[in-house]
Amino acid sequence: MVVEKVLQVKDLNISFHTFSGEVKAIRGVNFELFKGETLAIVGESGSGKSVTTKSIMRLLPEHNSEIKSGQILFDGKDLTKLKDKEMQKIRGKDISMIFQDPMTSLNPTMKIANQIMEPLIKHQNMSKHAAKERAVELLKLVGIPKPEIRVNQYPHQFSGGMRQRVVIAIALACNPKILIADEPTTALDVTIQAQILELMKDLQKKIDTSIIFITHDLGVVANVADRVAVMYGGKIVEIGTADEIFYNPQHPYTWGLISSMPDMETDDEELFSIPGTPPDLLDPPKGDAFAPRNPYVMKIDLEQEPPFFKVSDTHYAATWLLHPDAPKVEPPDAVKRRQNQYVGTGVGVGAGTFPGNKEGK
Amino acid sequence: MAEQKKLLEIKGLKQYFNEGKANEVKAVDNVSFDIFKGEVMGLVGESGCGKSTTGRTIIRLYDATGGEVLYDGVDVHGRKSKKQLKEFNRKMQMIFQDPYASLNPRLKIADVIAEGIDIHGLAKSKEDRMNQVYELLETVGLNREHANRYPHEFSGGQRQRIGIARALAVQPEFIIADEPISALDVSIQAQVVNLMKKLQKEKELTYLFIAHDLSMVKYISDRIGVMYFGKMVELAPADELYRNPFHPYTQSLLSAIPAPDPIAERTRRRKSYDPASHNYQDNESVEFREVTPGHFVLCSEREFKQYQVQSKH
Amino acid sequence: MINKETLISKDMFAPAHVDPSKSEKIAKPSLNFWQDSWLRVRKNKGAVFSLVVLVILLVMAFVGPMITPYSYDTQTTKHNNLPPRIQGLENVHWLPFDGTLTRRDGSEYNAYEVRKVDAYYWFGTDNLGRDLFARVWKGTQVSLLIAFMAALIDMLIGVSYGAISGYIGGKLDSFMQRIIEVIVGIPNLIVVVLMILVLKPGIIPIIIALTITGWTSMARVVRAQVLKFKGQEFVLAAKTLGASNGSIIFKHMIPNMFGVIIINTMFSIPNAIFFEAFLSFIGLGLQEPNASLGTLVNDGFKAMIAFPYQMIIPSVMIALIMVCFNLVADGLRDALDPKMRD
Repeated sequence: MVVEKVLQVKDLNISFHTFSGEVKAIRGVNFELFKGETLAIVGESGSGKSVTTKSIMRLLPEHNSEIKSGQILFDGKDLTKLKDKEMQKIRGKDISMIFQDPMTSLNPTMKIANQIMEPLIKHQNMSKHAAKERAVELLKLVGIPKPEIRVNQYPHQFSGGMRQRVVIAIALACNPKILIADEPTTALDVTIQAQILELMKDLQKKIDTSIIFITHDLGVVANVADRVAVMYGGKIVEIGTADEIFYNPQHPYTWGLISSMPDMETDDEELFSIPGTPPDLLDPPKGDAFAPRNPYVMKIDLEQEPPFFKVSDTHYAATWLLHPDAPKVEPPDAVKRRQNQYVGTGVGVGAGTFPGNKEGK
Repeated sequence: MAEQKKLLEIKGLKQYFNEGKANEVKAVDNVSFDIFKGEVMGLVGESGCGKSTTGRTIIRLYDATGGEVLYDGVDVHGRKSKKQLKEFNRKMQMIFQDPYASLNPRLKIADVIAEGIDIHGLAKSKEDRMNQVYELLETVGLNREHANRYPHEFSGGQRQRIGIARALAVQPEFIIADEPISALDVSIQAQVVNLMKKLQKEKELTYLFIAHDLSMVKYISDRIGVMYFGKMVELAPADELYRNPFHPYTQSLLSAIPAPDPIAERTRRRKSYDPASHNYQDNESVEFREVTPGHFVLCSEREFKQYQVQSKH
Repeated sequence: MINKETLISKDMFAPAHVDPSKSEKIAKPSLNFWQDSWLRVRKNKGAVFSLVVLVILLVMAFVGPMITPYSYDTQTTKHNNLPPRIQGLENVHWLPFDGTLTRRDGSEYNAYEVRKVDAYYWFGTDNLGRDLFARVWKGTQVSLLIAFMAALIDMLIGVSYGAISGYIGGKLDSFMQRIIEVIVGIPNLIVVVLMILVLKPGIIPIIIALTITGWTSMARVVRAQVLKFKGQEFVLAAKTLGASNGSIIFKHMIPNMFGVIIINTMFSIPNAIFFEAFLSFIGLGLQEPNASLGTLVNDGFKAMIAFPYQMIIPSVMIALIMVCFNLVADGLRDALDPKMRD
């Protein structure tokens, strides 16, 4: 089955110029986004996940950021080369974005109706009347009760969860091909978060959009993602389907991430933790950026950056541990438990290749 | 849980803001619980449920509107001499949520950590003071070179560890941790939680661990209290709470946590909570009742009987 | 994404040893707040240039009166109203330093030759024959003194008033804020005029007159900052450690406000200079033979048509000082504003 690629990021390198010097925030990122899928990008703060998506939207501050090299291909166009005017036509229409904080991403002095109507009138040349009807429709779609009344209210009359629904309504107003969600539920409570995630999955089915979902919460990733890209130190270190990443992770950083969360069984044993702190991208270490925190570090990690090793058709990891000459190492217990579980459920490697494994959702 | 010594008794604690005005907020409304010596008591709930206010009221950052907080049998609130207050400040310490706001940006790390030492005169000489600082830095996994740096040079996890070192400087017995990990990255959360657990064992500390991340709370806590709109709705040993939640709000909260497990996530069903579902009548008294030993639920007499029947199955 | 089969020797896959403590190392050099801010100020060309100009002006304000052979208050009536003339530059005709004046009919003449004066007054003389070069620098000195003193006193009163009002809060805060509102509500020109009438013009009365209303903006700014810091976790942490109120204010709050306080003061200095000049101009300033830039402009204004240099030189000086202070303050605001830090 050939799956349509809606977005392709090729060898992206982005730097920020700060007072202290050049910060290499993104160092050679490659990934693809397929039609109708949800790609989750996980990583800690400073790993470059937000910078990557902001560069897709071209929202990076112009005065101090620089796309050193690479392409972002969308619809046959390279977004890094487009003029501002052309980019404005894409933003909000073909690609739209949801931000972390629903309290600040709405204009407090504008009625909800006008905020939803804005992109409709701008991109789809709708009449005011039609746009307003569509606004009510959208609010209904995102599950806001009494949309006819709510549409004429101001943001402060909505609770946090309701505001995030409004933000989603605005983002979806023009049926975008790609929706970028930058930690959309981090500022919300768990019960509200669960509602918003359900809503997003529901809407994705309805309008068949692709979602790039940035988060640091692995629980959320497990809930929404079809595929997962793990970022560390400005690079993708592992990418694969959600099942592959959660049940058969290969990169020691992914191991660390997964086993540092207590599951309901771990109790008295000490949590696995990744020692140290993330690399300073002002001066990225030679070789593998994760090497200084890697308990399985080898000499080569300190010398050369690992290339991507193929685990399956959909699963790649950048670690020298996958090199045929590398010694066999034992992953942490929590990861081993997961690998066993994975074999146990019979969803073995290659059994459910994307997107065939979607109907489980 | 045999014969444990009560370190802290909280009785009918109330904290109202804008009392008597139209915009009165009952942030904490008649909350009672005990904390035993050497245990970790978890406090969970959504933002605005009053869990942080409870912690801050216990440590006297706010004056309570009503109720009592007894520490080792002595009332914490009420009039106190300066000496009594200082003694109390040494025994009870706090770790804060935001690692970026909880350290004074103009002070060197050595001075941040030594603040308590200075206030309580715990160092015999300048040299002794610095040695204590170095020791504390090493206790939390940093090294002595860090003492002369400023907070902005550290990462979030490092700052949180500095915050812990500051609290430890006065050798407290009881630490209130107000969402100490919610602003940190996953890989760093484990570092901080491990450190807190290690310190608890070594120094026989007692914690009140406030958080909204239920999986971490379950991991670190012995008992957990669930708060909803200023009231404690359920209190039970950690495992018991996760296995047999009685209160519908607890059930809804537990069902909402996404697990890092895609297969489980595909089948997870979320329960929603509607406060109206209790159907409390006017003549029913809603109280905190002990359904099974050590497991308390805020319920009416009718619900209490129902829960007791449930617990037998 | 293809596995590159490059030749890598097997021993490269031997476990390596990395010192775990190294990953906690901080690579950046340690910069404290002031060093960091200075780096930022330096980037702002306008601010640095203005700072240099201000330093030159400040030095000249003290050195200037000494390097001319004439004193600022010696009257040489024979030499009155002489235009500027500078050795060497007198032969460059397009510069205004050749000692020439223009008659009403438009013809030019050299005042020094006509009146047979063999002297060089760099900025010319006034109608009493006093050397303007000495007087301008003396005036700058006095103006800067008044402005600095006023700003300093504003700062002291404003910071303590604002800190007390914000920190204690409650009823006292409301009461103290009402007082500020009353003071702000009265037009300050009236207050100042009354003050000067009561106190007799002089340097100290002018400083008092300026500060009696000037501190309110600082007090408001500081109060807002204190209210902000009151809820911050590092202040709460100090409270739980048992820190006294004084140490919370002086150790934790005020150092974090240095930025705003300095910026506010920097902006209030040019205001004070301007206000002093204004008072002098309407005749409420310093009395003869003392000079401030304001009195010099006032004197020069009377002879503006015949001897324009008498007004232009002190006016340029006032403008220069004000522009420079504003540019420096602007640069400092950008450098000290925490929101700009990355």
